[in-house]
This record gives sequence, C-alpha cells and structure tokens, in this order.
Amino acid sequence: MTATLATLRAEAESLARQLPGANLGARASSAIHAGSAGRRRAGSGEHFWQYRHHTLDDGQNRIDWRRSAKTDDLYVRETELETARTLYLWADPHPGFDWASGEAAITKADRARVLLLAVAAKLSRDGERVGVVGGQPPGFGGKAIERAGEDLLRVKRKDVLSVPQSTADPLAVPKSSGIALIASDFYDPKEEWQARLKPLASRCAHGLLLAVADPREVAFPYRGRVEFHRPGSDRKRLLERAENLREDYAERYEKHRRDLNDLGKRLGWQVIWHETTEGPLRPASELLAAMETMGQERRL
Amino acid sequence: MLSNLTLGPFTFAAPLALAGLFALPVIWWLLRASPPRPQLEALPSLRLLDGVEEDDTTPSRTPWWVLLLRIAAAALAILGLALPTFDPEARTAVEGATDPLLIVLDDGWQAAPRWSERIDAAEAIIRDAPRDTGVHILTLAPQERAIDPAERFSQQEAEARLKSLEPAAWPSVPTVALERFEASGLTPARVVWISSGIASEGTGELARALSETASLEVRVFQPRTAFAFTGLSAEAGGARVEMRRLNVNEAAEVPVSARALDGTPIASAVGVFEAGEDVAEAEFQLPTAALNRISLFTLPNTEGAAAVWLWDSSAKRQRVGLVSPGSLAQPLLEDVYYVRKALEPFAEVTEDDLDTLISMDPDAIVLTDTGALPSEQEARLEDWVRDGGALIRFAGPRLAGMDTPAFVPVPLRRTARSLGGALNWDTPQGFDAFADDSPFSGLPVPNDAKVRQQVLAQPTPDLASKTWARLEDGSPIITATGIGTGTLILFHVTASPEWSDLPFTGTFVELLRRSIAAGRGESTSDASEGSYVPRTVLNGAGRLTQPEAEATPIAGENFFAEPISQQHPPGFYEGPAGTRARNAAAGEEPESFTEWPASAVLLGDSAPVNRPLAGPLLTAALALVAIDLFVALFVAGRFRRSSRAVAGLAVGLLACGLVIGPPPAHAQFRSPLNEVPNEEPRSKLAEATDQLRFAYVETGDADLDEVTRAGLFGLSLTLFRRSSVEPGPPHGVDLETDILDVYPLIFVALPDSPTPFSAKAIANLNRYMETGGLVIIDTRRGGTPNADGSRPLEGLLNGINVETLVPVPRDHVLRRTYYLLEAFPGRYAGGRVWIETSAAESIAGTGASKVSRLILGGADWASAWAVDERGRPLRTVDGGEQQREMARRAGVNIVIYALTGTYKDDQVHMPELLERLGEDQAVLPTSIGRDESEDEE
Repeated sequence: MTATLATLRAEAESLARQLPGANLGARASSAIHAGSAGRRRAGSGEHFWQYRHHTLDDGQNRIDWRRSAKTDDLYVRETELETARTLYLWADPHPGFDWASGEAAITKADRARVLLLAVAAKLSRDGERVGVVGGQPPGFGGKAIERAGEDLLRVKRKDVLSVPQSTADPLAVPKSSGIALIASDFYDPKEEWQARLKPLASRCAHGLLLAVADPREVAFPYRGRVEFHRPGSDRKRLLERAENLREDYAERYEKHRRDLNDLGKRLGWQVIWHETTEGPLRPASELLAAMETMGQERRL
Repeated sequence: MLSNLTLGPFTFAAPLALAGLFALPVIWWLLRASPPRPQLEALPSLRLLDGVEEDDTTPSRTPWWVLLLRIAAAALAILGLALPTFDPEARTAVEGATDPLLIVLDDGWQAAPRWSERIDAAEAIIRDAPRDTGVHILTLAPQERAIDPAERFSQQEAEARLKSLEPAAWPSVPTVALERFEASGLTPARVVWISSGIASEGTGELARALSETASLEVRVFQPRTAFAFTGLSAEAGGARVEMRRLNVNEAAEVPVSARALDGTPIASAVGVFEAGEDVAEAEFQLPTAALNRISLFTLPNTEGAAAVWLWDSSAKRQRVGLVSPGSLAQPLLEDVYYVRKALEPFAEVTEDDLDTLISMDPDAIVLTDTGALPSEQEARLEDWVRDGGALIRFAGPRLAGMDTPAFVPVPLRRTARSLGGALNWDTPQGFDAFADDSPFSGLPVPNDAKVRQQVLAQPTPDLASKTWARLEDGSPIITATGIGTGTLILFHVTASPEWSDLPFTGTFVELLRRSIAAGRGESTSDASEGSYVPRTVLNGAGRLTQPEAEATPIAGENFFAEPISQQHPPGFYEGPAGTRARNAAAGEEPESFTEWPASAVLLGDSAPVNRPLAGPLLTAALALVAIDLFVALFVAGRFRRSSRAVAGLAVGLLACGLVIGPPPAHAQFRSPLNEVPNEEPRSKLAEATDQLRFAYVETGDADLDEVTRAGLFGLSLTLFRRSSVEPGPPHGVDLETDILDVYPLIFVALPDSPTPFSAKAIANLNRYMETGGLVIIDTRRGGTPNADGSRPLEGLLNGINVETLVPVPRDHVLRRTYYLLEAFPGRYAGGRVWIETSAAESIAGTGASKVSRLILGGADWASAWAVDERGRPLRTVDGGEQQREMARRAGVNIVIYALTGTYKDDQVHMPELLERLGEDQAVLPTSIGRDESEDEE
C-alpha cells in the first residue's frame, strides 16, 4: 500500500517513466486554450523568442522592419509559444474507496492516487500545470507534483477543509479552467454524482472519470449467509443466501457502468474503467491517450 | 435395571445411556434448522443492491460435513457415556451355570514368563463372571500355605488373592494338585485353567478330572522365547549353557548374560536357535579369572527361576585374605609379594589386616612370617579356623625366633635349620615326591627348588600323619592339622625366596591352590557326605533371596536326585564340599502339552482380554467438538487474516486432543553432549581445547572404564542442565602419553586391584596438579579411605606430590560451591572425603584458603552418576534416587570447585554483589562471610 508521500511519488514516477512519451501539443495543444506557459519554442505568444531570417514562406507582413532596417537582410520576429493547461486531480476520500478485498493487493484509492500522480508527473514534464481539486494552487514542475502528492494523501487523511462532508456535497471549483481527473468508484447513484461534479464541469470543459473497482465488487463471489456492510458508513445488509443475488448484482453492476458512461457523456468527459487486480500500466496509458485526443473531439 | 448389556464383542456398563442415540435425529433436525453464524464481509458497492430483495429467505444450510461432524461427536459422546468395553470373549462367560468358578493357576517356574499376563487374564475372567459368583483357586505348584481350593472367595477377594500370588521357583506338580482338588470335595460349575502350556507330571490326568466335573476352559500362555536353562558344560577357557524354548517356528537369537553373584555383568553371549530347534547353546569364551567370577547366567528378557542358571562350580574362584604386614619398603623382597603373585591366577586376593580379614570370612587366610599374635586375635583366628577356614602360615625369622611358636600344626624347634651355609655340612635339600595320601599327590616335584633354611618340627607320634610334604632327607616341609572343620597349614619356609627357591617355581602356585582347597575340606571329604544347607535361593521371579522357612537342608547323596520343590528350592547350598547349586530346570526337556481333553475349550492367549472404550470415545467426541469449533469460526470468516497461525493452533490443539495414552517415557533432550557421529574424527587435544571436557584415567579394566566414562557423561549432563557449565563428553586419558593440561579435572577410579602408576605417569600427574589441575581419586570401596587401616593408595600414589590429606572441614567451600552439602555420597554413603591440608585451613586473616589439588574419596561416585546415552541411570545406588541426586550434587560441587576454586569463599566482592542486588548501602554489614554461610548450612 502506498502509505507515504515518498513511496507514492516513487511509484508514480516509475510508472510515469514506463509510459510512452505524451505530447499534448501534437494534436490537441494550442487549440484548447492559451495559457501562460512558455513552451520554449517559437509560436504564438506575447514574449519575444527570436529573430530569424525571412524565408519565402513567410508573408511580407511578418517582416520586422525595425530589426531589418539595421542590416541588409530581412528578419522575422518570433514570439515564444505559450500553451499551457491545468490538470486538476481528485481521488475519492470515501473509506469505501480506500478498501481492498483479499483478492487485490492494493486498495482502490492507492491505485487511483498512483495513477493520477503518474499521469500528472508525465504531463508536468511536458509543461502542464498540476493541482488538486480543493488543494494548493496548481503549479509547474516537480514542485507541483510534490504538492499534488501531499494534497492527495492529505485527502486520504481527511484533514483538508475542502473535503466534501457527505457524498452529495459538490466538489470545490478551481479558480481557473483546466482538465479534471476524477478518480472514484462512483457507487453512489448517478444523480448524486451529477450534482457533485456539475460545478466542476462548468469550469473544466475537459475531464476524465477514472472508475476503479475491486475484483470482488465486480464478481460478487459470496455464498451462504453473509452480512455485508459498507466501509465508512453504518449501512448493513444480511443476505441469507448471497449466491442467489449474484445475477441481480451483475445486472446492477452493468447498470452502474451504463449510468457512469451516461454521466460522462452528459458532462462531456471520458470514463476509464479499471480493476485493481490489473497492473497500473494500461489504465495510465489509457488516461494519457484520452488526454491526447481531448482537443480533437472539440475540433471535430 | 439392566446391569450389563453385551452386543457382540462389546459390553456396555451403562446401557441406559444408549437411549440417547434416539435423540440423534432430533439433533440432526435442530442443527439443520439453526443457521450458521453469518459471514461478515465489507462491500463498498453495497449501495448497488439497494432495492433488490431476496426471493428465497431460507437460511443457507450448514454444510453436510459439518452436520456429520456434529452428529458423530454426539454419537461418540453417547456411546462413551454408555461405558463400553471391548471384550471379544465375553460371550463365553455367560453360557450355562458358572457358579462356583474354579481358577486353576499354573504357578510353577514354567509359568513365570508372562506371569502378569496370566494374572490379568484370570482377573478379567473373574471380573466378567456374573455378579456374586463364588471363586475358588487351585494352584499347581505344591507348597505349604497354598490356597485351599475349597475356600470360596468373592470376586473382589479372589482378585486380591490373585494379585498377591507369585510364581514359585519349583515346578508345578499337577498330580499333587489333583489330590488337593479331590480332597477338597469341590464341584465347580466352570473351570478355567490358566496354563503354561508346558507338560508336567500328571497334566493330562488333572485336565481329564477337571473336564469331567465341569466345563473346562484352558487359556495357554506359552513362553514366547527361550525360558529355561537346562544344562551347563564347562570346559577349558569357556562355558556353554544350554537353553530351551517351545516356540520352534522361527530361528531366533537369544542373548545370555553372565553375572557375578552381586549381579555385576561379566560377559554376554548369544544362543542361536535354528528354526525347528527347541534347544540352543550360548558359549562363553573367557579367561579363567573372569570365568571364575561368574555365579549366574541369566536370560535378560525372561523372568522365572529357570531363566537363571546358578553356577557353583568346583572351579569357583577362591577368596583368599592376605594379611598385609604394613608398609612395604622393598616390595620384591617381601613375602606378601610372592604369595600374592602366586594366588592371583586363581583366587580373589584381599589384602588387609587380620581382624578385617576374619570378619570378611574368606576361604583362606595367608599369614606370612609373623611372630606372636595378640592373644585375643589368636583366639578369633582359631575360632575362624574352627568354623571351617583354611589358615596358611609361612615360616620365617620371626616365627623361628619365638620361644614356643604358638598356633602351628606341629610343635617346632626353636631355631631354624640352615642348610648349605658356610658353617654347615649339609647341602640345600630338594623336595621329595609327594605322598599318595597327601593333598599334593600327583603334583610334579620341583626338582630345581632347593631349601636352604627351614623351621624344624619336633618329632611327635602324629607328625607323619600331619605332614603333607617332605624334603629329600625326610624332614617335614609342609605340615597341616585340622582344627574343628578348618585346617591350619604351615609351610616351613618363607614365602619369599630367602629360605628356598620354592616361590620361584610353578609348583608353589599349585601347592597354595591345593592347600586352600584341602583347607576348605573340598577334596578331602566326599561330596556325597553330610548335608547341604540352602544359603541363597532363587525366588519365582529369578532373583536370589534369603531362603524361606520351608527350605530345609538336603542330604549330600540326594543332592541332585531330590526334585526341586519348596523344601529344596533352586539356589546355592553350602555343605562339606563347599557351595553347590541346584537349578530349577536342570536336565529337563520341557515340551508343549497338547493332549487336552476333547471337551475342553482351548482359548488363545490374547493378552488384553477386555479393553474399556469409554475414554477413547469421549476423547474422540471432544476432539470432534474442537474441530467443529474451528470449522465454525472459519465459516464465519473470523480467521481471514491470521488463518495460517490459527490453522497451526488448531492442528496443535487437535494433536493434543487426539494423542491418547501416556507421553513417551523418555523425553528426548538435545544437548551438545549428543555428538554428531559422522563428524570427522578429531584429535582428543583438538576436542578438549574446543570444549570443556572432563578426563578419566583409563585403567585397562574395560567395565570400570565404561562406568567411569558413563559417570562423567552423566555428571556432564547434570551440569549442562543445571549450571552454566556445559561440558562435552568426557575423555579417557593415558597418564603417560596424553596432554593433561587441557582438562580441568581428572577422575581416577581405582580398580579392585590397582597396579601402581608408572614413574612417567606420576611425573605427569605432578605437573598437572602443579599447573592448577584437580585430581579426583575414587577408591570405589565405600567407607572412608584409610579409615579401616587399609591403604589402597599405598604404592599406587608413591611419588605423588601432595600434602597431608585431611577430611573436608564442615564449613569448607567445597560444601557450598553450588549446593549446600552435608556429605559427598556416591554409590556408597557415609564416607569421608579428603583434601589437602592447606586447602582445608583458611589463610590467617583473609578467610580464604588454597585450592586443593587432590580430592580423595571412596564413595564410587562414577557409578552413581553413570547414565546411558538416553540419560537413564546405569547402576543402582545404596540410598536410592535420593542418594543418587545427592551424589550428582556432590559431583556438581566438585566440578564447580575445580573450575572456580575458592571463589565462593572470597567475600571481597560481597558488598558490591549485594548492592547490585538492590540492597541499601547504608545498612550493609561490615563483615559478611562465614557466619552467614554457616547459617545457610
């Protein structure tokens, strides 16, 4: 279990290193919105980047006469490309999320935190801003990842003020727009989640829902007389013959998936499904791939 | 009310409890109806199930195997409470009239093997008989005070009587039993004969008579293996004992051990029964000296009088007392030396002072040249001779110097005659041929032995009849006279070669031997004369005991013809020809008895006749309940996390619950004392430097060395368990060649006739003691060494550099190095232990003393400590286990003394020690020490 910040970061970093190189700029980048982050190459921006010789491709209007007047050559003035996005992370602090059955070695929340942080680390290396919903202001670079890790773990420790007190409380709304990365098991009803995510969605046009499930929650392998309870709540239920309800459960679970996908569509966010018995590499790359395609959807 | 219920081979003592079995279906139904405890599970996705209702709310069933388990537990408990007994022959007990019941018990020596099985069988038969059955007992071995078959016992009484019975040392005589049975006028309804299965005189008649009066059941308990010695043939350098068995199906090897009279094993041999043979011989090839010590042969695994063969043997070793003259200045010139050398090949020589020797009552006493004896000592000596002792005296200057030599066979002239001296005409005389009527007749004449000086007999009328040997000139050289039943023999020369060459010759040995034999009256009187008195007899278990009142003397001529009986039991008898033995099965050829009457019911000898089952059943029920408990907890999911530990616990509990019966008798202990045998052999030096080890001196006497080794091993084991001293197995050392400095102590157990150490050994010992070693010498004689005037260390330790020895003082540190000890007992108790003077006295002012370099005792510690490889004691100890424990403590104290010296006496650090113990410094007494330690004692 990823208990400390150090181990969480180490795991996230090692996961991030295994991920394929992601470049949000390749397909989506600038089209989404202009941020203030210099991309350290020529492009549209406000700050001066370089003068270069005028080529035949460039139109006449691009000539910087002031510079060209000093010499015989024609120069073009280029500004630095400024495209940056903010990635807002959030992992469900509910005790039911920080739970693992005997079958999986890692709790859902731990897996979610590693995934979130790994993706954040990857994007941060590409110049994106990273922050946690309800946490410290988003920032750049390794420092921001450090802070995001702290915030995620602090959420786990429940000493952050902005943690929703009940499952119905909406998530905090960040000051600036960005991409939201929301990890939970989403077992509460669709309406509740819609209410929770709506304010956030209004600020973040793009987002991803990472639904993490434990294998037992999927398969419902229980038999006989079983008393169930939901961690973090006093909800209990005694089943005389658990095996009889397996089909019902499977049906319900299927509905739960449909509902969540619906919710994603309504919010305009993509949904990624993940089971904790599986390794973290596939969901991480899926997350990255989803991010890369984000801008395109808008363009189409 | 039903008292007993018999179902097949099972008998239930409380059959009403079986009604509980009818409740089993109810229990089944109840168990099915009550649901198992729910399993507790966490499930975050529980909200998904909101609104879903269960169709079938019947609680899930307890798994069938759990049900089965519980039902089985209940059934076992019910069966157990019904007190069942497994008794395959119970049915035979209830047929027909059974009152009164006659138990015919074979109790001759043939019945001694498997005696307890017999008694168990008889008791079981009585117990299983219907209540209030009258029981009569008929024993087959004729004896006074035999149980009267007419006497009617209750079942309890009969069991008690049976328990008190013991097998007899003489054979069963069914004819006598038949007479007693007929005389009793008893008409039993049922007869059970517990037989040895060995044919005796009249077995058939008795069986027929019994089967005519009542239904006869016979239970035969035949000896499983060799059970009787039937003969012995002695030959040069060996002896062969013949033994018999009944079961001839398979080849078998039966060990036989030869023992001294006190039970000490001397040798062992194996008798091999070929398949189909009922007789085998075990052959002992031993040196004569060892052979002479053998008094009995035993079959180690068989009980009974016939499993012991007593060997009297005319070739029995003689016990000769040699009067020790005191300190030996010149050993090779002393008389005693020659006599001892001459006696050693055939006799057991004890050297001591005259009084002690008389009290030991040896076969003969040899008195070398002595002057006048104190009158009361002479009187005692004469009494002893009169009672059958042989006194052999030698002449010499002192005897010759007496005015009227007293206590000699013939009157002597006052001075000695010397022959061949410068002032004499006579030449040294040789021996004349021994006369035919002399005990020496037939011995070769020592032609080369010349007599240079002798004491002369005064001519008296009976001189010729008292003369056993003469010189060539006719003067008597060996004379003898009978006093009472004993004999007084005088050699008219010295025992040393001073007066004659006789001590150099081989004839001297023979002369002494025959003198002793003649002195005991063995060859002079006929064995068939007189009567023989039982001295020690065999009891039915095959152990030597004092004869009972019924045992009577037996006439010499009938000695072997008289059958073995209560009046003349097997044992050692003493008579004119010395000690003679009667053996229970001498010359017998025991055979199985097969001609039982046709009407008799022959039953086998299955030993456990009935076996109570209640205990095992209830235990099994309890075990099942325990299993069920764990199963229930598993089902409820209580052990998800720590399932492995719990499984281990469960297995452990089950193992505890299921193991029925006593724990293994000998718990194995693990200690470095048990060496790995496959290790490369290392040198003794390497081993001894690697680990603390004790050493003992190898005496060359294999038995003694083994006991000493086992003793030190036992002591090491004791130390290992009780203290932080963790020694390795002991080493035997050779004082001359081995390096001694590596051992903290060397144990010297003196053999019975110790040979002096060599000069090199003495030098090594001295160096060892000077460099801080501790030597423990154990004379193994009991009592206090030297207290009786004997000097076992005389000569042995000459040259050993120790101070005068004194007994261990009362407050000496040796008494409290580890345990607080009053005494230092070993196999013998009550002896003193001696240490060096300077170690016994404290150095003025300091309260400390030196450490003794030598500890001398005679308690035979090694025997008391000796254990075998599994830690079981090897030897018995006089005072039983308590004394053995005290001996071990003494050993521990000695070892700690050897290792720590006077540390316990050194009170310099006492204040600090007390302070460390948390005592208040202010109230510390200024001097702590002796007073306190005495209080402890």
